[in-house]
Amino acid sequence: MLSLFERKKKKQKIDRSVPISEARYVVLDTELTGLDEKKDSIVSIGAVRMTGGRIELGDTFYRLVSPRTELKASSVIIHEITPSEVAAKPGIGTVLAEFTEFCGDAILAGHFISIDLSFLNREMKRISGKNIPNPAIDTFAIYEWLRKRNKSRDCFATSLAGYRLYDIVKCFDVPINGAHNALMDAFITAQLLQRFLPLLTEAGVEDIGDLINLGIPFKGGDHFNLSGEFSNF
Amino acid sequence: MHSAIRPNPGSNMILEDVISFLKKVPPFQFLDDENLQTVARNLSMEFYPKDTVILKQDEPPSDALRIIKKGGVKVSMTSEHGDEVVIDYRGEGDTFGFLSLVGKDRVRSNITAVDDTLCYLLGKEMLLKLLDSQLSFTEYFLKSHITKYIDRTYQEMQDKSMFYGGSDRLLFTTRVADMAIKGVISTQEDTAIREAAVIMSENRISSIVIMNRNNLPTGIVTDRDLREKVVAKGRNVLEPVKNIMSTTLIRVDARDYCFEAVLKMIKYNIHHVLVIKDGAMAGVISNHDLMMLQGTSPLSLTKDIESQQTIEGLIPVSKKINNIVGLLLKEGAKASNITKVITEINDRLVRKVVEFTERKQGKPPVPYCWIVFGSEGRKEQTFKTDQDNALIYADPATDAEAEAAKQYFAAFAGQVRDGLLQCGFPLCPANYMASNPQWCQPLRVWKKYFLSWVSTPTAEAVLNSVAFFDFRPMFGELSLAETLRDDLKSLLADQKVFLGYLANMAIKNQPPIGFFKSFVVEKGGEHKDELNLKIKGLAPLIDIVRLFALEKGISETSTLERIETLRSMHTIVEEYADDFEHAFEFIMLLRIHHQYQQLSSGQAPDNFINPNRLSNLEKRSIKESFQLISKVQDLIIERYKSLIW
Repeated sequence: MLSLFERKKKKQKIDRSVPISEARYVVLDTELTGLDEKKDSIVSIGAVRMTGGRIELGDTFYRLVSPRTELKASSVIIHEITPSEVAAKPGIGTVLAEFTEFCGDAILAGHFISIDLSFLNREMKRISGKNIPNPAIDTFAIYEWLRKRNKSRDCFATSLAGYRLYDIVKCFDVPINGAHNALMDAFITAQLLQRFLPLLTEAGVEDIGDLINLGIPFKGGDHFNLSGEFSNF
Repeated sequence: MHSAIRPNPGSNMILEDVISFLKKVPPFQFLDDENLQTVARNLSMEFYPKDTVILKQDEPPSDALRIIKKGGVKVSMTSEHGDEVVIDYRGEGDTFGFLSLVGKDRVRSNITAVDDTLCYLLGKEMLLKLLDSQLSFTEYFLKSHITKYIDRTYQEMQDKSMFYGGSDRLLFTTRVADMAIKGVISTQEDTAIREAAVIMSENRISSIVIMNRNNLPTGIVTDRDLREKVVAKGRNVLEPVKNIMSTTLIRVDARDYCFEAVLKMIKYNIHHVLVIKDGAMAGVISNHDLMMLQGTSPLSLTKDIESQQTIEGLIPVSKKINNIVGLLLKEGAKASNITKVITEINDRLVRKVVEFTERKQGKPPVPYCWIVFGSEGRKEQTFKTDQDNALIYADPATDAEAEAAKQYFAAFAGQVRDGLLQCGFPLCPANYMASNPQWCQPLRVWKKYFLSWVSTPTAEAVLNSVAFFDFRPMFGELSLAETLRDDLKSLLADQKVFLGYLANMAIKNQPPIGFFKSFVVEKGGEHKDELNLKIKGLAPLIDIVRLFALEKGISETSTLERIETLRSMHTIVEEYADDFEHAFEFIMLLRIHHQYQQLSSGQAPDNFINPNRLSNLEKRSIKESFQLISKVQDLIIERYKSLIW
């Protein structure tokens, strides 16, 4: 199911034989004014770096963005980011340049990352005419893949209501404090990926080629999200 | 609002969590905020599923020091024969990988996750930088004994607001020199009383030091002297001050803690103590100064006791002792300071009760000595503990005198027992009391007891020895107790067999090292044990030190005093004296805290603590205390090899 685009990118920069325990990842999360790609836009981007299963705690990325569209009351309530807070922040162009630099050639990861990517790529295209070139994996897709092979484990036995990030990480005993913003969610997602890596090794997944294949971003994540709590919005 | 963008505003949230964790973890908690920030920014985090081998023996050194954030690991070594020997378990807040990291060595042991485990990783470069610049940090890692950072444990305990009151200036942390002592005002001994009084009121001081012709201090005149010796007696105010001065000049060193000054005031029943600095007189400290320092005082309580004339009068006073403990805890006292004060107060209560009883019952037919033993004998009482007392009387010369003494002391001891009970000293369930005829005997019978215990160490004899050999005189003819002590000393010389029995006793209570697995291994369920601080912690220490004291025939009875005296006499004590003291102080303080909390919330005090409620530093301190006990028990086994069963 590889798209033409991804194949081209593979040739460009990715050595697919790097073991998953040594690969460099950037785990990201965005917060949006809403889920409508046409009307809504990015409020903030958070990301943490990870090499193999090692999360760098001090080397993180978090920027508020001055949104191109209006902040809606509903999203203000969820993110607790108010219009006045973001009004003075840099525009998406500046932030995206910094963000792509932060990502370098790492593999991008996120929970239902296709949502984040579609917003990020829309802005990228508008500004530079290109998509973000990095390969991307979806922790939800990895979860589903592992679930088929680990029916006996508690966290895979029954489907967790709504597949929401917080339900899954709770089951995997990832510590969560009250805070909810793009960086903290990226951090939590990174810890989920951190727990998946040994399970993937156990299941015979060796290099990032395999990982990219099984972690293809799951489209339509917004349907899951709409049914319950929000991850991005 | 605008505009300068902080580079990473939100990263604080991740780092905040890390920092608040590190603040509870030695040695990171000794770092200042700036260094903590730097450390946190340089950390990474890894996750190891249960049973992961994190480091492997003989492999190249690890690249980072790992701090356990959650979960636990097992440290083990593989022997030549391939057996796995478990060395240690480490839990939350513990670190591993230090030695191989710094020593550039191969990894010395296997580290295996015994639970799903999260670790923070501190890179080598950062670690070396800290070791280079942060003394307390380095100390922690380089120490091989517990002595180096134990004082910080006290500091940490003091920081816990539930125990400590915050802004009080502290009796036990304030040195005499830090008190507001102005230059000493003095006058010559032939100064007229009135003139001296004028100097005192001009300077607003309550005492004046009197110097002789050679300009050496010979006495002191206080407000009390003016009141009692001049005004009340109608003395001529033109007489020289030397006629009314008190010549007992009690001194403290400027470096002593104020607490020492209080003890001296209590002991000598005075209000002013001379402060000496570098050999010269530096000032005077008064009980008023100390009262101001501490609010209410143990001193006032002892005054209260001394002024009582009946047992009934003592009862309300004795009830205040628990408050004193609370006060001392609040002031950050060490355990030994608390027990010192409590002992001083309890001794006074006991003496008063014995004194009143004697007064009521008339002159005894022969001299006697009231002795105490057990924790009272060791001066290690905290809250009211059971009565442990006995009576030695002088050997009667005739049968008639013997009968009279028996009658008298039987009634006497019963009265004292009841009086002590009224003052809140519970009866001894094992009936180790002078009111038991067995423990109310003439000196020669006591000597016979001791001889038979030492020469025929039955189980009961050993039990008796352990209790009674900690005896000290409390009231009456003290020389009777001293004679008995001397007798015991010569009895014990070369009694290797008897000491062997005590040695067995001292190694009987092995500390629960494995107990610490429960910090590490399971989240719930199987290891919900609590820890008996007395049986597992204090008793082995006391038994070990008593054994050493009896080996050397020293007459000190308190554990800490024994250690101090043995320091220069006993090879094992010489090596471990500081560790012993710290371990003893630490466990004792934990116990006092625990019991005080129970009393404050209306529960009966016990010795059981829940180790999970301890801070990491406390856990570590207690663990190292146990390791010390274990090590010394091994040395004892070695020493008494042939006598250990």
